[in-house]
Amino acid sequence: MSKVANRTDWADEDPDELPAQQILTNKDGSKTFISYRFNDDGKKVKVARRIRTTVVKEHVNPEVAERRAWPKFGVEKGHPAGPSFDTTSVGENIIFRPSVNWKAQAKEAEKTGEKGGIKDQLKDKKVKCRICSGEHFTARCPFKDTMAPVDEATGAPGDAEDDDRPQAGALGGGGASYVPPHLRKGGAGAGERMGGKYERDDLATLRVTNVSELAEEQELRDLFERFGRVIRVFLARDRESQKAKGFAFISFADRGDAARACEKMDGFGYRHLILRVEFAKRTT
Amino acid sequence: MRPILLKGHERSLNQIKYNRDGDLLFSVAKDKVLCVWFAANGERLGTYQGHQGAVWTLDVSPNTVLLATGSADNEVRLWNVKTGECVKVWDFPTAVKRVEFSPDGSRLLAVTEKRMGYLGTIVVFDICYGDGEGGDLNDQNDEPSLRITCEESKATVAGWGYLGQYIIAGHEDGSVSQYDAKEGEQLENVQAHEFDYQINDIQFSSDRTYFITASKDKTAKILSTRNLAILKSFPSDTPLNTAALTPKKDYVILGGGQAAMDVTTTSARQGKFEARFYHRIFEDEIGRVKGHFGPLNTIAVHPAGTGYASGGEDGYIRVHHFDKPYFDFMYEVEREQMRR
Repeated sequence: MSKVANRTDWADEDPDELPAQQILTNKDGSKTFISYRFNDDGKKVKVARRIRTTVVKEHVNPEVAERRAWPKFGVEKGHPAGPSFDTTSVGENIIFRPSVNWKAQAKEAEKTGEKGGIKDQLKDKKVKCRICSGEHFTARCPFKDTMAPVDEATGAPGDAEDDDRPQAGALGGGGASYVPPHLRKGGAGAGERMGGKYERDDLATLRVTNVSELAEEQELRDLFERFGRVIRVFLARDRESQKAKGFAFISFADRGDAARACEKMDGFGYRHLILRVEFAKRTT
Repeated sequence: MRPILLKGHERSLNQIKYNRDGDLLFSVAKDKVLCVWFAANGERLGTYQGHQGAVWTLDVSPNTVLLATGSADNEVRLWNVKTGECVKVWDFPTAVKRVEFSPDGSRLLAVTEKRMGYLGTIVVFDICYGDGEGGDLNDQNDEPSLRITCEESKATVAGWGYLGQYIIAGHEDGSVSQYDAKEGEQLENVQAHEFDYQINDIQFSSDRTYFITASKDKTAKILSTRNLAILKSFPSDTPLNTAALTPKKDYVILGGGQAAMDVTTTSARQGKFEARFYHRIFEDEIGRVKGHFGPLNTIAVHPAGTGYASGGEDGYIRVHHFDKPYFDFMYEVEREQMRR
């Protein structure tokens, strides 16, 4: 009753005065401490902390416990308890895992560590000529002037290498360098491309090179429209000068038309230059 | 595990040792300073001052009352562990390379160097512990109770066999000999290591029935105290300075590295400055712990087997507390044994 009578109206409370700390005992044996303080903005904050005290009993050899209390002597005389920074520091964490085949594991780790050396990477690579696949540089090839370089399209050994690569990079295939997901085996085409329904059929797209600097998109469209419906004409231009960069892409609605255009227009003279037309390669 | 680095010495460590309870770690180095540390947190409790030369060796009595040290200033000193006072000095004609208390602490052996016309000797003193309260500790015998002279090859290290019955000594020529601890006669002598490769360390198992020796011939061997039979052999690829037996788990820890004088001409990687762990029974190397910049001169294992400390030529002591994988490691056969 007296409590109620003594309670003052909240409006009469002194705003600068903090209520005394309250300690409540909870059912589970823990205690709740409720205290008040002013925070940095000068606002009154209530802080409730729940603390459970547990007694941890540790058995220590009495002699050891006694030695812990020994006063320091010698150079350390008069120094406070606790490790001093000039004599004691903590080292880097060491992962120590005993293992039977420790030696093999260490060797492997050493090997991967050595991978950084370019010399080691190239150790088992041989020089290969791009013209005749012989063991010499392309520039030194005896057939340099008589044979054209073996192109990727003609099924050069380089192609086979390209096929191997995604396999090596398959998920979980240990050790190999990073291969982006869309290049991994089985990943090709699985990822959705951007562009949605407007995705172009690359099969009906021609790449035109050796285009004059002065070429216009409309002119190219007129040239190729003769073979069929042209969906898109893209002429690469320099960003600053707005001059054509020398190549363009022409997309046809129908692949048959594209094939015909490719055949007819390859070698066509346009603005004093001979066009080269071929099917565009799918960008990867 | 995260090692604690103790930097209390200016020069290379010569010996470190835990007391029997494993709470204190004592260290001596070439810089005349003796340090004692709390093994748990690396706090330095104190230093003992008085030696005038490099301190080669130390040992602490089983009851952690007395500390014995042997040094290059031809002295063996006894110290009050608690206060850091020197309670006794014994003078010798040559440097003292090794001291060790007997298992009951009643006797102390000291190995003296062969030099300047003096032969290497092993001397034994009877030790008194005063009134038991830390008083009257300076009441010690002046004369040794036993003197063994090593005529053939000087002893480099020595220790007590089980119950203080034998004195086991490792020699400069790679042999190990067994002496009667009462009469001082040589009972056995075995060429345990390659001829003329010095034995650098000898450490006993907790019951002292067998011991491990580390030699310059790149091997460590476990010998039986009773008849000096070679029980196990641990080959490594570097001269060994120290070897220790781990209680609780059946491992051994070997430490070594390129000799200090060759260090500047070899890279840290080739230096092999690692503590090597071998399985005591299967003799396989099971792992290494890196850390030191120089050869490991001394390794001490916590008497309870919960950690180890190593002292290197680089002047650092690294105190390691083992963590779970260390205790969990077992061979397949051991695991099967457990299941039964």
